[in-house]
Amino acid sequence: MSSVDFKTYVDQACRAAEEFVNIYYTTMDKRRRLLSRLYMGTATLVWNGNAVSGQESLSEFFEMLPSSEFQINVIDCQPVHDEATPSQTTVLVVICGTVKFEGNKQRDFNQNFILTAQASPSNTVWKIASDCFRFQDWAS
Amino acid sequence: PEHDDRVSVPRRRKGRGPFRWQGNRSRSGRGGSGIRSARLEEDDGDVAMTDAQDGPRVRYNPYVTRPNRRVNNWHERDRIHVTVRRDRAPPERGVAGPSQDGAVKNWFKITIPFGRKYDKTWLLSSIQNKCSVPFTPIEFHYENMRAQFFVQDSSTASALKAVNYKIMDRENRRISIIINPSAPPQTVLNELKPEQGEQLKLVMSKRYDGSQQALDLKGLRTDPDLVAQNIDVVLNRRSCMAASLRIIEENIPELLSLNLSNNRLFRLDDLSNIVQKAPNLKILNLSGNELKSEHELDKIKGLKLEELWLDGNPLCNNFCDQSTYISAVRERFPKLLRLDGHELPPPIAFDVEPPTTLPPCKGSYLGSESLKNLVLHFLQQYYAIYDSGDRQGLLDAYHDGACCSLSIPFMPQNPSRSSLSEYFKDSRNVKKLKEPSLRFRLLKHTRLNVVAFLNELPRTQHDINSFVVDISAQTSTLLCFSVNGVFKEVDGKCRDSLRAFSRTFIAVPASNSGLCIVNDELFVRNASPEEIQRAFAMPAPTPSSSPVPTLSPEQQEMLQAFSTQSGMNLEWSQKCLQDNEWDYSRSAQVFTQLKAEGKIPEVAFMK
Repeated sequence: MSSVDFKTYVDQACRAAEEFVNIYYTTMDKRRRLLSRLYMGTATLVWNGNAVSGQESLSEFFEMLPSSEFQINVIDCQPVHDEATPSQTTVLVVICGTVKFEGNKQRDFNQNFILTAQASPSNTVWKIASDCFRFQDWAS
Repeated sequence: PEHDDRVSVPRRRKGRGPFRWQGNRSRSGRGGSGIRSARLEEDDGDVAMTDAQDGPRVRYNPYVTRPNRRVNNWHERDRIHVTVRRDRAPPERGVAGPSQDGAVKNWFKITIPFGRKYDKTWLLSSIQNKCSVPFTPIEFHYENMRAQFFVQDSSTASALKAVNYKIMDRENRRISIIINPSAPPQTVLNELKPEQGEQLKLVMSKRYDGSQQALDLKGLRTDPDLVAQNIDVVLNRRSCMAASLRIIEENIPELLSLNLSNNRLFRLDDLSNIVQKAPNLKILNLSGNELKSEHELDKIKGLKLEELWLDGNPLCNNFCDQSTYISAVRERFPKLLRLDGHELPPPIAFDVEPPTTLPPCKGSYLGSESLKNLVLHFLQQYYAIYDSGDRQGLLDAYHDGACCSLSIPFMPQNPSRSSLSEYFKDSRNVKKLKEPSLRFRLLKHTRLNVVAFLNELPRTQHDINSFVVDISAQTSTLLCFSVNGVFKEVDGKCRDSLRAFSRTFIAVPASNSGLCIVNDELFVRNASPEEIQRAFAMPAPTPSSSPVPTLSPEQQEMLQAFSTQSGMNLEWSQKCLQDNEWDYSRSAQVFTQLKAEGKIPEVAFMK
């Protein structure tokens, strides 16, 4: 990767991350049943130490979560190195925010996603390859 | 040292404190056992009060019959235990003067102009987080659009003044906080004196039917015992309602039925806490009060009521017919079965209750055994170098084209004054930083730049036992894992500050069958009080993990067996056994419990 190329990658990663965060948390809060469509078929979620894999299990998991109100305070992102995901544009997105699940107190969380651009002949769609979520006070 | 003192202390819940006589609960048995009915015949479910060992907590004792034994009991105990509630000692009624200890109490009214927009819990905890001293909000309430509460003494008030404009709300608006000197709040003025509170408890205990878990506070003001003592308990006063609710919370949180009829209640604001204090309440009698609007019921609609009495309130006349009355009430209490003694049509129920429980939080998710060993081994080595004082050795851990960036929580206040200021200049929050060249500059790229950057960060000591590691993605070419934990800074101006971090690594396989980092994102924040308390609670394992030879042969044998059975390494097995005085079964019990709670660090299982 030459430096100019890398700068383009960084720029693209940031735009993907910003767009993604908007869509993901709006879907989570308002159109939960569509949420699993943002994930790849083989995606894994690790939610406070609970692992959930595959779209169907993810659907079930999200359905079971109480309704939510997310607020995102920090987004950082990096283009994932080519050697880790050969010939697939991939981005690491790291998020910090607060969430209020219905019937629960508001809590801070950290979350990270690996997003990957899936190209098909007609268009390119970004999907979540992995998702890792943890409350900051998970142990209390 | 204890095996793990983070979790060995059982958590106390309100109303379930250690002074509550457990025998009462288990023997009276909720499930209607034979023992229970036998007891009921014996003393017709009446309860009497005994004083608690340490003050205002009281217990309902169904085994003491009235009247003589109770009186004796009461007097006997009274001589031994004098109830003093220093922290609540109220001034004389209507006098804002010196308190018991002679200090002048200054009161301040705190106003948040558009406070109605915010959830009480969120608002108070945000203020507390930013406030340099802990404070106790008195009489938190909303008035029109404002939220208000009272605090005592000027140092607290000035600390709160410093929070003005320091909190941002969801719309990124700064929250203003206005402080004004004020007269003592009504609750304090009207608060019952300790001995009056004790009398109220006694009266309430007489009016409690343990067999039905029913409390009858009908026309409490005219209770002969209270009248005889000249105690004015008027439940439409905030202080009196609060005192009664506190007694309920501390003694009978399992309350099923509450009769508040004929108490001249004209609003239900002060009753709203009952939703938390007696969450099982199913029957509520409010008849013969002064409630004028059905909207008063909104304040207690969190109750899952099955039976409600409202007759004899002006609000009943607001409805043109029975069905609008019923539907107005059912709107607030959809599960209601009986209203004013009449059976209602069965509530509309579907088999879909919106969920409110979250899946339980667990410790590390590490996938397979081999993956776990790979990652934990890597992290041990990585942080040994990271904490060594010279991070140059980390060059080997990174790929030539690696990137690294850092972020800290968003801070609305001046970041240079924040304790995280050392990290601020490198913080890369693309939600706030929109300038592409800045975003690019803050992302460290290539191995040399990454390690040079890490070398500039404050020197640290990580608590490896605090680490919780989640492996979230694994392919033949990639491994993604996050590490959460705490560290302290060991030099510089923030020496000994405790930080929490969440770090995400993406690694590719390295030639030496190890890992090579290609992406590294480090999030740093201040550790919470709980994290500070727990941090470095366990000594880091010493480098040599061979058992100490001073153990007796029996202990050695026990150690081997425990290690095999628990899966923990010898070091941790020995620690657990030692902490439990080499009692094998107790150690096993403690281990099983801690493991189930996910409280044993993964390093304990590394052999």
